[in-house]
Amino acid sequence: MFAVACSDFIRRTRDSAVRTGKLLQNPRIKITDVTAVMSRPPPDPLFILRGSGAAVNTLHFCCGGDGPPFLYSGSGKGAIHVWNLTTRRAEHVLESHAGNSVIWLHTFKDSSSLISQGRDMRVCVWDLSEDRSTVTDSLLTGSVGFSQCSLLESRPGSALLAHPTEHMEEVSVVDMRSWTPVCTLKPDSKLGMLMCMKMWQADSGPVLCAGYEDGSLVFWDVSHRRPFSCLKAHPEPVMCLDVDVCRQKGISGSSEKILQSWTFDDQQNLQMHDSVQMTNPGVSQLCIRADGKILATAGWDNNIRVFGLKKLKPLAVLQHHTDMVNSVAFSDHQDPPQRLLAAGSKDQRISVWSIYSES
Amino acid sequence: MGSEVRMQVCSCLRTLSSSRDSGEIVHALRTLTRYLEDDEFTRLHYTRALQVLVSAQSSHWFNRSRGDDDEEEIKKLWDEIFLRGPPDQTLLLLLDTISSTGACAGLERCVSVLEKFLSTGRLQVLLWSRCEGGGSYADTPQLREIIIGHLAALPSITSNHLHTNTPDAFLPQQYYSLLAASILDTLEKTCHALRAGRDCSLGFVAQVLGKVCIQGYSSQIFEILAPRLSSLTRVDPLWQRVTQRLLENVPERCTECVITGLIRCLSGATAASRLMGNLVLTNKKAQFVLTHKLLLQQYQHPTRLVKSVLGYLALDPERRMLLKQVLRSVCQVWCNSSAVKHTSVEQQLYVSKALLLCVALLTDSEIQELRQEMLQCMLGGVQCRLDSNIVRIRRMGMAVGECLSHKLDTPGSQLKFQYEPDEEIRELKALMESPSVADDDDDEEHQPDASSSLQPEPKVQGSAGRSVTSEPGRGSDSELDSDDDLTPYDMSADQEKKESSPPRYVRDCLEALMSSDDADRVELSLQVSDSLLRKNVKATQEVSVQFSKVLLHLEDRFNTPRFHSLRQNAMVALTVTDIKPVVDYWTTEFYSLNYNLRQRLDILEVLALSAQELSEPIRNKHTGAQPITAATAIERCDDITHWRQIVEKRIQSKTRRISKGATQPVKAVPNCYAPVAGFFFFPLLRNYDRSQVTFDLLGSDHLVLGRLLHTLGLLMHLAINAPVASQMGRALLDFVWVVRFHTDQMVRRGVMFAVCAVFLSMPSENLLTELGDDLMETRAWIADVAENDCDADCRSLAVQSLILLDKNLKSQLQIPDTET
Repeated sequence: MFAVACSDFIRRTRDSAVRTGKLLQNPRIKITDVTAVMSRPPPDPLFILRGSGAAVNTLHFCCGGDGPPFLYSGSGKGAIHVWNLTTRRAEHVLESHAGNSVIWLHTFKDSSSLISQGRDMRVCVWDLSEDRSTVTDSLLTGSVGFSQCSLLESRPGSALLAHPTEHMEEVSVVDMRSWTPVCTLKPDSKLGMLMCMKMWQADSGPVLCAGYEDGSLVFWDVSHRRPFSCLKAHPEPVMCLDVDVCRQKGISGSSEKILQSWTFDDQQNLQMHDSVQMTNPGVSQLCIRADGKILATAGWDNNIRVFGLKKLKPLAVLQHHTDMVNSVAFSDHQDPPQRLLAAGSKDQRISVWSIYSES
Repeated sequence: MGSEVRMQVCSCLRTLSSSRDSGEIVHALRTLTRYLEDDEFTRLHYTRALQVLVSAQSSHWFNRSRGDDDEEEIKKLWDEIFLRGPPDQTLLLLLDTISSTGACAGLERCVSVLEKFLSTGRLQVLLWSRCEGGGSYADTPQLREIIIGHLAALPSITSNHLHTNTPDAFLPQQYYSLLAASILDTLEKTCHALRAGRDCSLGFVAQVLGKVCIQGYSSQIFEILAPRLSSLTRVDPLWQRVTQRLLENVPERCTECVITGLIRCLSGATAASRLMGNLVLTNKKAQFVLTHKLLLQQYQHPTRLVKSVLGYLALDPERRMLLKQVLRSVCQVWCNSSAVKHTSVEQQLYVSKALLLCVALLTDSEIQELRQEMLQCMLGGVQCRLDSNIVRIRRMGMAVGECLSHKLDTPGSQLKFQYEPDEEIRELKALMESPSVADDDDDEEHQPDASSSLQPEPKVQGSAGRSVTSEPGRGSDSELDSDDDLTPYDMSADQEKKESSPPRYVRDCLEALMSSDDADRVELSLQVSDSLLRKNVKATQEVSVQFSKVLLHLEDRFNTPRFHSLRQNAMVALTVTDIKPVVDYWTTEFYSLNYNLRQRLDILEVLALSAQELSEPIRNKHTGAQPITAATAIERCDDITHWRQIVEKRIQSKTRRISKGATQPVKAVPNCYAPVAGFFFFPLLRNYDRSQVTFDLLGSDHLVLGRLLHTLGLLMHLAINAPVASQMGRALLDFVWVVRFHTDQMVRRGVMFAVCAVFLSMPSENLLTELGDDLMETRAWIADVAENDCDADCRSLAVQSLILLDKNLKSQLQIPDTET
């Protein structure tokens, strides 16, 4: 299974390398398309953050605190950049994970600590307060898969972390305070490798939604260590998913052209809801904005796509990057007009956009 | 008795003309008023009395200050005499007076009394007087003619003399409406009289109607008459008889105008049938107009009229004979190949419509009876239309062929063509779908209702409009759960990513186009070839001819999007990058063996586009792309400015300017085309008369000939101000002379276009020497085309070239004038 997944990954990487730099952009607008002529042109990026020195794998905003708004980015060479969005400069560069690729970053709400996941099979917790940059804790997960971790802060001071393990299909949940394993979730049937997951707090307790290599989604009851429901959402591996908890709705992307949305009820039963066709296949990551109005996808075709969440209406195609986009993130600004969208690409750049932020 | 009346009248008139005492005048007028009832007075003395009144009042009556009572009294009596007497005499006298007197107070009185005459319904009295009693009214034919003439031409007579002072009531729109109302009134009285068992004659009314129509006011009069008659005849058979009688009595020379005007204003075939009855069977002239003239000779009428005419013929079993006869003659015209060549497109469309409408009205048994004729018509007509070079005619032929075949053939063996239907074709096809005559009776039903109840109608419309506008509002409310509040951005740039990469070198590109079986690669190569060829001038020049050959033979194997324009762009890029060898190649291949028409047309298009691009004024941007030609051109340009400056200075120093308002001629700017225009132009003229096995320019391949002429014209025009222009012009005129009477419209258009280009681009002094002896003949030929050609484009181009030629002539002939 692992060999298959690896060769698949390598092939994809190679394909995208072939695409690199040879992108054919047709600048001519089709005059026949009346709506295209009438609608406004897509916006340009607000600014570009350059200098990460390697492909940007993951992004995380931290704009809620008293200080200046920050954007954390993890690069393919193990560097974590802390970008100050006011000055648009990198304030710190943390060398981490022994030069291995950083695949996931997250901050804690209360303290100025950062958690990062790397390809060296480790998860590290960083203390960044008072200009420190030291690793305070680290956990060896043993995972060589694609899945990013998921962090759930239920109460201040106590947090659960879901991480992949050395068993490819397994999720392990640990209590962050004591680093004690809470449970491991392993599907009974063969669904293949774990691809992506998201954990959140439901009324009944912590819930986790995981996407697997065969295109299935599984809803896990973390406290009882059993699946609520399972849904075969895609024919291809689920590359990414995000959930709007308030509207009980989620979106998943795959390596094909379809973006699939699904809903779940109070009994956590998953149901297919809607789907939308994109021009080019492949989504690396997708992200729903906190207000649940729009979502953005990071496409293998170098484009960022924006959709309305309710009906998956295509809203914009943002073309800037010259290589595949690895990550998208919406900022957590309190003030709606300040909300930003950031996208990190394999072309080593991070583009920052302001789109549909007025309302 | 008679003499007593005369005596009395004479004395009254004498008083009126001489007396200055208002009492006497009032008395005399009263006496005359009393006599208005008297038959002898109205017959013998009335006109005389009116004359005296008109002349007397103009001289002195109303000018003096007098008691108000008397003046009022005189005015009243005066008007009364005019308005109560025999209307024919009054009308004639008033009109004569108006047309013979100059502007004065008397004229004003006449005009105002004529206005009253019209408004008090004296026209009805006049018409009815000629109607009642079965036409026993004893008029001499001349008098009758004069009255009819005056009745029909009142607006012209009055406005000729009153000019801008003409009252509104005399303007055609109002007057003819009034006349129409009077006619209706008279017809109504006739109906009453007939019911009462009295005789009536409609001859006079019919003559008036005919006269009005022949003077061109049929639409004004029938706008009122037709709808009313249509609704009246629906319920009353007597009205039908009266109307039919009226139409029968219309003089023969007016029949056409009356019938055309009537049918144009009627709403359908059933109405026409009610109003005209079997007029078409009894009246030869009407038959000719309805079955021949309206359908085959004229073509300006709306489709509705053709529908009405044919529907009218189809409604009665006796008239159906005529319908079949019409079908035969329309078929004959439609399949006549000379008619296709020599009539205008609009007329062909009209005949096609008539044919389809006719076929739609026939029953199955009738179609079987006429099958042979229709089949022949279809085959011949479609064939000669498919031969035409005009797209519109070809399409029309295909559409009509399909429709006929639909009626004639069994479902399996029907004709089916491939074409894009446009508005015109859809209209043609729709004609086949509404054959039943009864249909239009329904929408006709609404019309009288609408006209009879004008008041409530707008309200109904208003409320309907309101309800319509309120509906979408409700609709949008229900759509709560959508992303509509977010307006999407333009997403047209979102296109599929290509797997393979475009070639980066000219030779790679050539390779891909030559041998690749990969659709993506061919498409990418085509897409980049334009920019690639222009960027890499050196590399392009090495392989230009080979590349041209590949492109010329390239076929759209993979159904590549925008294949033709991409290929054409690449060909143009080649031509402008390496001008001489590539142009040589194109012009040689144009006349060589084994090319299809498309390829030859492609060559012409590419030559024209390249010449156009080269003829753009040189800008610095272009120098990179075309180093050699640009460099020489810039040298020349320096030369020219230098030379021109010197000449300009000399002229300035020698001339005294009287006015500075003279228009400056368009300045000649150096371009890349002028030095190479000959390469483009002359080889194309080399072999036109040498027919090949696969290519016969002067024979069947007239499509290419037409395009060749257009291209040559364009090449000529772009060479304006070039030194070689005179030679080109002479050669082109020689060539054009050979084919000027070509039967194909496209070719003739090309000829006229080329002539225009020559007149426009050739220096005028050279033009005159070149034309020399042929000048008058050429001019006569162009004038003939401008007047008689059946193609509208040809005519307008000919007019244009005539203007250009005359302008050239004038500018040449003026030079000796200014010198002397």
